[in-house]
Amino acid sequence: MTEPTNSGRAPRAWPWAVAFVVGMFGMAAVLSSGAIPRDIGFPLMFLPMILLVPMVRAAERSQVAKGCVSAAVVRYNRCFMLAGFAYMVALGAAIHLHTHFTLGTAVTFLLALLPALAIFAMIWVMARYLREETDEYLRHRAIMAALGGLALVLGLGSFWGFLETFGLVSHVPGWFTVPVWAIGMGLSQLWMKVRGA
Amino acid sequence: MKNRLKVLRAEQDWSQQDLAERLEVSRQSVNAIETGKYDPSLPLAFRIADVFGLAIEEIFLRD
Repeated sequence: MTEPTNSGRAPRAWPWAVAFVVGMFGMAAVLSSGAIPRDIGFPLMFLPMILLVPMVRAAERSQVAKGCVSAAVVRYNRCFMLAGFAYMVALGAAIHLHTHFTLGTAVTFLLALLPALAIFAMIWVMARYLREETDEYLRHRAIMAALGGLALVLGLGSFWGFLETFGLVSHVPGWFTVPVWAIGMGLSQLWMKVRGA
Repeated sequence: MKNRLKVLRAEQDWSQQDLAERLEVSRQSVNAIETGKYDPSLPLAFRIADVFGLAIEEIFLRD
């Protein structure tokens, strides 16, 4: 049985997470519909990103209250959030430049690399967390969540690919793998919480 | 794997947090091990045994 803590009611991070996901997918849907020009719409994508700040803060307070925090977790949360912001800035800048300027192949290649570098940073932050986490149970949970995210990417990606091959759905850019992976990680963590694992 | 962690901890009058601090792990880890949701690695099992001054097989039992 879990012992009660003295911290009172722990703050909940999931409402912020839901608002973030709804905001991001909502903005993406609005942009895809063409209702807003892309160069105006992409800066608006930053608004849901602001929700990451209270989400991470609530998650940290919740982790402290539940006794499941470590120095590595705090470092991971903050670095991952910074990498997320860097991703949005790089993506916005790359799309703006690509839309408004005629660029050569080499510059376009570098533009495509820009947001990918932020993704590489996220992967590195995750790898560093797994290396630095000294609490084996927290590390085990992080690995299981990452595997859950990978399972969603592989399963959904393959299924979508077949649907696309047979002409039932439209093409989805490959960079969608990262948000799908992150959603899979979140769902895995939720599943572990529900199961009490 | 079953374990006697809760009983041993009660004998010492330690909370899960007290034991977690002695083992240098999170309280959540102690809870997961104690309730049988997570089996610790051999190095952590040795640390638990050292904290209680017992052998591993006196704490962890076969199902």
